[in-house]
Amino acid sequence: MRELGRIFSRRRLVLGLALILLLNGLLFVREQRKNDYGLDLELPVSGGIIFFDGTFTVTQEPVDAWAAYQRYSEWIDRARELPLADAVAMLTDEKATLSAKIAEDTDTEDDRLDYVAVNNLLAQTDYLTGYGGWLENIQKNKDNLLTFSIFNDPDSFSGRNILKTADEFEKLQGVELTLGTDGAVESFMSFRLTDYFLLLVLLLIGLSFLEERKAGLWSVVHAAPNGRLKLAIRRTLILFSTSVVGVLLLYGTDLALGFSLYGGIGDLDRAVQSVETLGRLPMLTTVGGFLIRFFLLRIAAAFLVSLLLWLMLTAINNVKYTIIVAAGVLAAEYSLYTFLPVQSAFNIFKYFNLFTYISLSDLYTNYLNIDIFTYPLGIRSISQLALIPLCLLLAAVCVWVHCHKKPAAGRDLLGRVAYKLNSVTDKLLRRLHLFGMELHKTLWIQKGMVIAALLVYVVLGLSYTVSIPVMSSAEQAARQYTTQFAGPVTDGTFARIDAEQTQLDNAIAAHEDAQAAFDAGLIEYPELDKYAREASAARTKSEGLSKVRTRAQELRDKGAAEGFAPWLIDETPFESVYGSRAEANQQKAALVAVLALTLLLAGSMAYERQSGMTYLLRSTARGRGALILRKLLLAAAMTTLVWAAVYGMEVYTLLTAFTIPSFPAPAKNLSMLAAFPLNGSITLWLALLYAYRWLSLFCGAVLVLFLSSRVKRLEVATIAASAVMLIPSVLCAYVGIAALRPLSITLPVAAMPLILSANGSLTRTTLAAITLLAIAAVSLVCVSVQARGINKKSLL
Amino acid sequence: MKLELLNLTKQYGNFTALDHVNITFTEGIYGILGANGAGKSTMMNLLTDNIPRTEGQILFDGTDILKLGKDFRRVLGYMPQQQGYYEHMTAQTFLSYMADLKAIPKKQAKEEIEKLLEITNLSDVRHKKLGGYSGGMKQRVLLAQALLGDPKVVILDEPTAGLDPKERIRIRSFIADLSRERIILLATHIVSDIESISDQILMMKHGRVVGMDRPDRLIENVAQEVRESVVPGHFSLEDVYLYYLGE
Repeated sequence: MRELGRIFSRRRLVLGLALILLLNGLLFVREQRKNDYGLDLELPVSGGIIFFDGTFTVTQEPVDAWAAYQRYSEWIDRARELPLADAVAMLTDEKATLSAKIAEDTDTEDDRLDYVAVNNLLAQTDYLTGYGGWLENIQKNKDNLLTFSIFNDPDSFSGRNILKTADEFEKLQGVELTLGTDGAVESFMSFRLTDYFLLLVLLLIGLSFLEERKAGLWSVVHAAPNGRLKLAIRRTLILFSTSVVGVLLLYGTDLALGFSLYGGIGDLDRAVQSVETLGRLPMLTTVGGFLIRFFLLRIAAAFLVSLLLWLMLTAINNVKYTIIVAAGVLAAEYSLYTFLPVQSAFNIFKYFNLFTYISLSDLYTNYLNIDIFTYPLGIRSISQLALIPLCLLLAAVCVWVHCHKKPAAGRDLLGRVAYKLNSVTDKLLRRLHLFGMELHKTLWIQKGMVIAALLVYVVLGLSYTVSIPVMSSAEQAARQYTTQFAGPVTDGTFARIDAEQTQLDNAIAAHEDAQAAFDAGLIEYPELDKYAREASAARTKSEGLSKVRTRAQELRDKGAAEGFAPWLIDETPFESVYGSRAEANQQKAALVAVLALTLLLAGSMAYERQSGMTYLLRSTARGRGALILRKLLLAAAMTTLVWAAVYGMEVYTLLTAFTIPSFPAPAKNLSMLAAFPLNGSITLWLALLYAYRWLSLFCGAVLVLFLSSRVKRLEVATIAASAVMLIPSVLCAYVGIAALRPLSITLPVAAMPLILSANGSLTRTTLAAITLLAIAAVSLVCVSVQARGINKKSLL
Repeated sequence: MKLELLNLTKQYGNFTALDHVNITFTEGIYGILGANGAGKSTMMNLLTDNIPRTEGQILFDGTDILKLGKDFRRVLGYMPQQQGYYEHMTAQTFLSYMADLKAIPKKQAKEEIEKLLEITNLSDVRHKKLGGYSGGMKQRVLLAQALLGDPKVVILDEPTAGLDPKERIRIRSFIADLSRERIILLATHIVSDIESISDQILMMKHGRVVGMDRPDRLIENVAQEVRESVVPGHFSLEDVYLYYLGE
């Protein structure tokens, strides 16, 4: 199979496929982590009740999801040893005990893990015990609905649908559902990205069939004795093999990782309905049987999709238009699949759709009949029945098209339209100066607009705040008092604290009096209980108030010593956005910013070399210094664009999520900025922080320009720049290789992790800034030297 | 106007690409003939300061071009041997961009671009992207950009490569019609391209200038040297080429 060898001899394709496989596995694992391994981690609310209005609620520190899943596995093993009813009783008792402990604030970490495990197991057993009732309800609904005149017409879609649904689920009566670890199958069925990775693999293979057209060899291939039928059959077989291998590798990875994460293969002989996701599948089979069936159908569906893609890609002679049309068809199909309502009269287009075959799991997790000339037809049946005939038909059409399509018969139908369009853009571009043209090259020619659009999309999904848990009622009270007394710390502040303290002391004293009165038989227990509750709340508040007084005194002393005005500040908004708990958010935002900037600028210098323009540009009056200056301005503009998008959103979140009256307060009043070397306000500190982030990004941008100037091709420049800019940061932030911190550009861009680890002092950030500036300066000199053509020897 | 190459040398490691060349160019068309690797492109790259020289000087009206820098590049028109262009730009946009790089005012650039597109017969395809052009069309666009800004020194490295005979004659005539108040250096190994239009012809071999004179004088000199072996009246510049540059 030389054709197969030709396709896979392209290193970029093989690298791309390997990357897809790797990404699929990584993202699958990440998705499981993100979804807390399918567990509901919510805990009951604990802590005392504070009797005044406030904005804070006590938030429990979330339990570790992986530890909770391990505990869940232990509990499920225990539960499976018992009959289901006994297991439910045991779990219910356990949940009640654990809930009480948590409510009374006497729980331990172990109790919380047990609670999450038991709570999730109970939800699972609820489904299992309720399944029989659900099946009975379907039969009862049939009888009830048929009593209504609008449903009981046996020749209408509604009547037939009710009967068909009841009939299909009737055969599940008596099916025995058993408890088991469902995580692997649940995650396998719900991880949609694999569907799109498979589509990408098929698309890449389909595009490789266009290579001969791009290389101008189509006529040669078409004229060769084996270039028609034989080649077409070989390509059909390649598509089939790719479908088999692609499905086995991509979905096999998901399943293998799922089994590995969720406690092994487990019992595959259980009825498939035991897995809640597959509860609506009216088919008598085991979990194992279902998986084999799913893989076979997945392969057939992948083959069908690959044939469709091949047909779309080969039906038009011009490669560019082919890709446009293929993209258009895919977009139309996706829109119909996604946006067409289930109830629509045209829902046949939703389910008889390319994307139905891509997102195959929908057919097994949903039960739906659609109206085909008043006959209800299951969405699964439609797709399954049509699969093999469609594959054969499409294979025949593809082979026919390949054999009969004439390489030289294409007419450039859109050429005239493109020419007219170009004449308009030419008029606009003629007015642009050098910087405008650099922008045009970056945003339009090098597809920077796509990166910018993706950046906006990603930024809208970024999280900038974290919730700051309040660990005790006293802490809750302290925060509420801080909000109440927020502002400059003066004698008045202490007077107000003292007044509040007196009220609290009175409440405690009143309880003591009431106790004496109760002991003397002067008051009843309910009245004493009221005093007791108020006194209890007062003690908690008093503890909180004491913390506030201590903090106010600390700030007053520090302010006097260091010459700044002490302010009591509610630090929650700042901790939530800039604090150490928000470090993951900051790293992610920095990573997005650096990635976007790298992708935007990686081609800037390499594009000149790839186009063979370097010598020509350097022979012009403005092709050296002026051009480099414009490139730097471009880097600054792109830096500003990325910075504004990523950090503009952060500022917007800060201003909209919180009410902050403390911007004029000196920054040193914030605990995290205790060692801040300037006596400026929080506003000044924020301005410096964002300016510093811009500068770090700009230094990175100059480094990208330098890397771009060292390579001759856009793709290589993008890969090289991404590797240098991102790999150390990713390995440092997400794999935990601390040795790479000095090479991680996201650290100075995020800035706060450096400031916080230095306890607010600017030592580390200053060092990082100097390093970055030095790197940027060296890069700049190198780029300039290269652009000016100075003899390197003369510099030494 | 005078462009002087004084003792100009370029070495790549141990290989000498240009060996102590001394030439003075004044207004006129200079055809530079030489086989591949003779040093023509190296000389062009040194003249455009695209590679650093090992030794020697290039003076434009008495001042070194490195010292003149931008001022020299302002009067320079250069068409490199390798086709360099942005395939996603149209001819119109590409020429506008090059005009901007050459610091030509917008209004003047517009007029010049119109004229050059007409001369190079590209007016009807000016809004087509360069990626869709044939090799000859790309060559003409590059020639057009070299002539933007009415340059005083025009360096054309293989300007007719890839052109069909009709296009070659057209471009040759255009170069011949260019004002004589400029220095035009035209490097090629196609003798017929320069035979009829050059005022002077340089013969280059192994990085050295082995002959330089008017075409008729070169023919005459060589004819005298080898008069026994050729039929009088049938001696051409190709024979001169073979005489000087043949192995």
